[in-house]
Amino acid sequence: MAQKKLAIRSTEDLVQWSRGYTGQKYLTTVLFLLVPVTLLILFTVIPALNMVSFSFQKRDQFGINPEFVGLANYKQALTDPEVFSPLRNSLYYLAGSFVQLSVALLIATILCSRVQGANFFKGVIFFPYMMNGVAVAIIFRRVFYASDGVINKSQGILNNILELFGGTSQVWLSGTPMLANLCLVFVSIWRYIGFDIIMFIGAIQSISPEIFEAASLDGANGWQRFRYIIFPSIRPIIALQLILSVRGAVSVFEIPYIVTGGRNGTETFVMKTMDTAFKLQKFGLAAAMGIILLIIIIMVTLVQKAFFREEK
Amino acid sequence: MKTGKILAAGLALLLVLGINVFAGGQQTGGGGQLTLRVLTHRTDRHNDGFLAKLVEPFEKANNCKIVFESYTDYSGNVATMMNTKNYGDVLGIISSIKQEDLSNFFEPLGSYADLNKKYNWADNKMYNNTVYGIAMNGNVSGGITYNKKVWAQAGITTLPKTPEAFLAALQQIKDRVPNVIPLYTNYNANWTIGQWNGLALSVSGNPNYNNELMINKKDIFEPDSAYYKVNKLMYDVYRQPALHELDPMTTDWEGSKPAINNGQIATMVMGSWAVSQFQAEGPNPQDIGYMPAPFNTNGKQYATSAADYNLGVNKNIDAAHKELGKKFVVWFAEESGWAQTEKLVPTLKGAAMPDWLEAFNGVELFTETTAPDALIGVWDAINKESAVNLGGDESGNYQFQIADAAFTGKPFSAVEAIFAAQNARWNATRDANDKLKAYRP
Repeated sequence: MAQKKLAIRSTEDLVQWSRGYTGQKYLTTVLFLLVPVTLLILFTVIPALNMVSFSFQKRDQFGINPEFVGLANYKQALTDPEVFSPLRNSLYYLAGSFVQLSVALLIATILCSRVQGANFFKGVIFFPYMMNGVAVAIIFRRVFYASDGVINKSQGILNNILELFGGTSQVWLSGTPMLANLCLVFVSIWRYIGFDIIMFIGAIQSISPEIFEAASLDGANGWQRFRYIIFPSIRPIIALQLILSVRGAVSVFEIPYIVTGGRNGTETFVMKTMDTAFKLQKFGLAAAMGIILLIIIIMVTLVQKAFFREEK
Repeated sequence: MKTGKILAAGLALLLVLGINVFAGGQQTGGGGQLTLRVLTHRTDRHNDGFLAKLVEPFEKANNCKIVFESYTDYSGNVATMMNTKNYGDVLGIISSIKQEDLSNFFEPLGSYADLNKKYNWADNKMYNNTVYGIAMNGNVSGGITYNKKVWAQAGITTLPKTPEAFLAALQQIKDRVPNVIPLYTNYNANWTIGQWNGLALSVSGNPNYNNELMINKKDIFEPDSAYYKVNKLMYDVYRQPALHELDPMTTDWEGSKPAINNGQIATMVMGSWAVSQFQAEGPNPQDIGYMPAPFNTNGKQYATSAADYNLGVNKNIDAAHKELGKKFVVWFAEESGWAQTEKLVPTLKGAAMPDWLEAFNGVELFTETTAPDALIGVWDAINKESAVNLGGDESGNYQFQIADAAFTGKPFSAVEAIFAAQNARWNATRDANDKLKAYRP
């Protein structure tokens, strides 16, 4: 405020301005922003805009002689059952995310009460989230192994545990499509639950301890404390996690792609999009599918925004 | 402090420009020696140094250096590279390049009339009578790999000539030889399922089969047609849990190679290209055999032979590299001895056939006829555009639908429904194809 306004009339003024406080401030800001903005434009904005234009074209992977087809790709993506039906498998993951959130909430609540070695458990539970998705998928292929004693020499870990407790071994991934999908949902829960738990723990710990103290003076038991203190206080975080889960369920990809490759009814929409682009070489259609997915995600995000505005 | 800032700025700049650093194309070695970058799908032969040894005479004769680059997902990686101009000097032409686009990417190597005199499959990568690639080697397809010893142990003396006999033979192996998987599906590796489809043309016994299907507007999966029969056999094997491995979703392709060599697997549906790999992966190369597809037309069996990857020369490189590249492509087909050591069908006409093709005595070999000029690329276009994608391995492909139906024990009527749906897709795309509409034979 105290700075006097400088009118720039000549290059000399400009040089002077750039040496002054405001000039330096702007220059530094611009210089620092240059790198990330360049990267962002180069690798995100331009490809994304390209994708929008591709989605109105009939074109192959190499982009030779693309042909403008208007909304035909969108029409096909939304009407051809072979294209959109993989989206149904997202329902498994959606159902799984509710299980995931409830279990996460339970574990977070337990870890926030006085438990021996809570930090150790936090670390253990969060660890899968830090692991590479590919590694997770490969590990779980081993877990779900069923041995026929010839090539799959030993049983997978899950069957080993079953046999240890006197159960009979199962064929997991080659069983019914539902079983295969449930196995994959389990893997995805295992992987992402750590993140939910950490978020919940963070939220629970921000609740003022006086409230808990007052509650225990009034004789509230564990359930009442959860129902009337913890749950209402962390509702925004639960909503956020829920929306992230929906987003994840719609765009689930790496775990089913590596564990089952989409066979036995475990195909997902993103997988279908990838293969449409690179194996069927229908780049236009795949771009349209990508945009549709983007629109779904944007809608979910808008719902999230609306939810939070209401909270405030 | 200052040097730190400069360093940071430099690093950031490098990040932005880094993409270009790797894009530098050809290098020239010391003393004017040219370096030729060759892209290949044979990771196995690249990693064990065999290819490097193979090309030594060529390097000496031409005072050059050959650098191989191999990719496990060859077609996928090369397709990405081909979005730039930098995709090696000599490379196996990937199948996703349409015939009519070949000239955009590759140097012409000669006219079909000339090259056809010398080489098999000269028309494989050809457009307007100009050839853009010469095959590394060929394969006999329309056969099935098997372990001779296991089949003999099960008491099978004559190879099956009908699907029923084939199924009975697999059952016999299951009954008589303990601890053997009669047929290993390799289902977890995506591409393996397309191998069944590779039998179809052989089963038809008609070199012009695909063209006729297209021109005469027939259903692809017409009952008792080649594609129908092959997929039905696949369904019949996959539906009976006793005939294949317990857990098809966790199969292991690399592990299956020594297993068939050691006699733990009796049969795998693979093209002839797999034979040398199966032989190399264990102590019993003599046990690996290759049998014609178990189908016959009036008692006669057929098999197709076709080119493996065709080597082409990148058209975006300088003249010296182009010339050397062309020389290399010719040398590879004529003098390298690649096909002989790998026991593959040689590209050079009149060269000796490998000995394991003995089982094909009495089987008629034929090479698929290319489409008439006006229809070049139409088959592929319909195949991809309709998303039927015969022999493809994208998720949701009809073959996976059939296999999943079989593994979950659905009746054959489910497969017929899949056939009907695919026929409808195919026919709709075919009838909309302009080139085919305009075509008058």
